[in-house]
Parts: sequence; structure tokens; C-alpha cells
Amino acid sequence: MKFLDKFREIVEGLTVHGQSTAILKVKAQIDNLFILITMGDMLGIPILPPYYSLRLVPYVFPNIQNWKRYMLRERDFTDLVT
Amino acid sequence: MRGLRGLLDAKPNLKVLIYAGKGGLGKTTLSAATSVKLSSMGRKTLVFSTDPQASLSDVFEQNVFGRGEVMLARDLYVMEIDADKKINDYVASIKRKIIEMYRLDKLPRDIEEYVDSAAAEPAMYESAVYDAMIDVVSEEKYDYYVFDMPPFGHGIRMIAIADVISKWVDKITELRKQAYEYGRVAASLKRQKVTYEDEILKELEYIRGRILKFRDIVMNTETTAFIMVMTPERMTILDTEKAIEMFKSLGLQLSGVVVNQVYPPELAKRPDAPQYLKRRVEEQRKYMAEIREKFGKYVLAVIPMLNREPKGIETLKTVAEELWTPTKRLEDYI
Repeated sequence: MKFLDKFREIVEGLTVHGQSTAILKVKAQIDNLFILITMGDMLGIPILPPYYSLRLVPYVFPNIQNWKRYMLRERDFTDLVT
Repeated sequence: MRGLRGLLDAKPNLKVLIYAGKGGLGKTTLSAATSVKLSSMGRKTLVFSTDPQASLSDVFEQNVFGRGEVMLARDLYVMEIDADKKINDYVASIKRKIIEMYRLDKLPRDIEEYVDSAAAEPAMYESAVYDAMIDVVSEEKYDYYVFDMPPFGHGIRMIAIADVISKWVDKITELRKQAYEYGRVAASLKRQKVTYEDEILKELEYIRGRILKFRDIVMNTETTAFIMVMTPERMTILDTEKAIEMFKSLGLQLSGVVVNQVYPPELAKRPDAPQYLKRRVEEQRKYMAEIREKFGKYVLAVIPMLNREPKGIETLKTVAEELWTPTKRLEDYI
């Protein structure tokens, strides 16, 4: 079983790893946008009435830390290149 | 003056009566009197208030604050929302949900702060009140709903932005579906489980539903009437003018104005009337003329100042009768 798992991981790494990473990157961007437009007031951009946007907090909770880091990160011109 | 009766005759489908106006003018008393009258006609009526200060508990001389729907007399139900408690419960449930979903010991500090600060937002109180209002009206358990509204703040703007928010939720939903697709593909490639996309979509749909429902309740002129309460004083005349403008800008329709706390003018005509009272009535006459000129077509009734505080169902009945079918004409007060 252990061997099979390892084997599976190797095949995965050889075949679909790059693809799924790329997809996850796009998803992360969509997620960031989503948190911005629903929890924007965390950064001082209120959009949805807070009474209702609070309902979404539990679902986006795992992403909030990353999102904040992403939003508040300093940016420079090299960002445009990548 | 056509009285409340005239209003109901003109709008037979009326279900929701909302008393608006600034604090201290007698919104609560008039809401209570209205509900006493409607229930006495055998119509099941709920009177709803949120303000723990000028409260229905006081007017009905019975503590009903935060106790849900309490029956006071036949067909007369009263509900006084404890909005602060509602907000606290709501916030606590959100926190609990996060802790349970992710099996945490306690919330991270920044999230805790965020949730708490959102709860302290002033519009939160109003939103909680409107949310409770949507709940009771949607249940359709009563023939009439009489609302004693807290003075308007930012929350009422929710109506103005209801359409925008609805479209907004559409967009967000679309975005969520995209994220879901990407997540699903990535997860299937990696043979993982997808996250809470369905629940997020459900919540978004719920939020949109609530906002649209609220708008439908307050914008439907056939079933909902906004009644402004005012007194014959300089300041409330100015306030009412502003409120009518705000109503227009939000696309709401004012159904009527009730002038409250008016000195009966015949008192001043008595030879033994004190100078004090005469002056007061003289001044009031001037304002009543202004009210007729500015809001004449809206004035439903004029409620005279009683010789005691309007408390208890029996006393409210006299107020209710005057509100229902005014015994005088508006001109009699000028």
C-alpha cells in the first residue's frame, strides 16, 4: 500500500502536477478576488452589508491569512514581469 | 382628514404599517394604538418594536422585551426585539461555526477582532432589526403588522442598493462557480476533496433573497404604508420635510402623516384659560397652518395631547379612535 501511494505520487508528479498547480494558482486568484469583494471591510472597503457578509466568514476562513498577506504585500516593478 | 380608516379603505391589501419619525414624538404610542384598534376589529395583529427605551413594554405596562411574540389581548400580539442580543447570538454562532468547522481551540486574534468590529458597526443594529422584520412578515401568521421603526440611519439605504447588491451577488456567484470548477479539476487531478463551494453558493443565494425580500416588503405600496409621526413644532416640520425628500430619493412612498401631541385649541378659548396655555395654542396654530400647507394631503389624523400619559390598552383606545376616524377637521386646529 505504501509503495502504491508512493508510485501514485510519482506518476502524479510526472504527469499532472504542473497542470494542477497552474489551475490552483488561478483558483487562488479567484478566491482572493472573492474575499476582497465580500470581506473587503477587513481592509476598509465595505461592499456587502456586514450583517450578511459575516455569514461567509466561516467558509473563507482558511484563506483569510494568505489573502491578507497577498493584498498587503509590497509590490514593485518586478511583479509586472512575472 | 381621512384617518387610518380612510387609508385602509383606499388600500384594502394593506398588511404592513410602518411608523417612522424621530424619537420622542410618539411613534410607539401610535403603533400600539393602531394595533389595539386593528385587533379590536378581530384582525390578528402583531405590533413590533426594537427600541428598549421608548418601549412597547412601557406603553402596554407589561414587560415583553426580548420575549418573542406575546399575546396581550384577543388578536393582539406584541413583539419587542432585543436587537443587541440578536446580534450577539448571531456573532457567537459565526464564531462557533468557524471553530467547529476547522476544529480549532479558539479563534485567531485577527479574525476574532474582525468579527467583533463588524458586530459593532452602527448599520448592524438596523440590519438586525430589518432582518427580524423580514422573518415575521415572511411567516404570514398575522393579518396586520405594525412596525415601530427605529429612526432611520444607514441601514435603510439597503433598499436603494438592493438591486445593485442583487446584481453584485450574481457576479459573485459566477465567480464562485468558476472557482468551484477550477477547484474541482485541481482536486480530481490530485484526488482530493473539494472545499465548501456549495455552501458558499447557498449562502450567497440566501443573502440575495433576504435583501430582495426586504425591498419587496418596503417598496410594495399596495401592502405597505409608511406613516410619519410629527408634532406641531418647528424642528419636526423641518425633519419631516427632509424625511419626505429621503423617501423620494429611495423610491419609497409616504402614505400619511399623523400629527401628535396637539393641544386641543378649544382649551385656550375658555375665559379662565391661563395665558401660558393661550400662548402655546397660538403658536401651535401657526405651525398647524404650516403643516396643512406643506403636508396637507398626507395628514391622516391629529392626535390631541391627553390629560395623562397614554399607557395601558384602555387609554390607548381613545387614541386609537381618534386615529381611526378623526372627530375634527384639520382646519379646526388652525
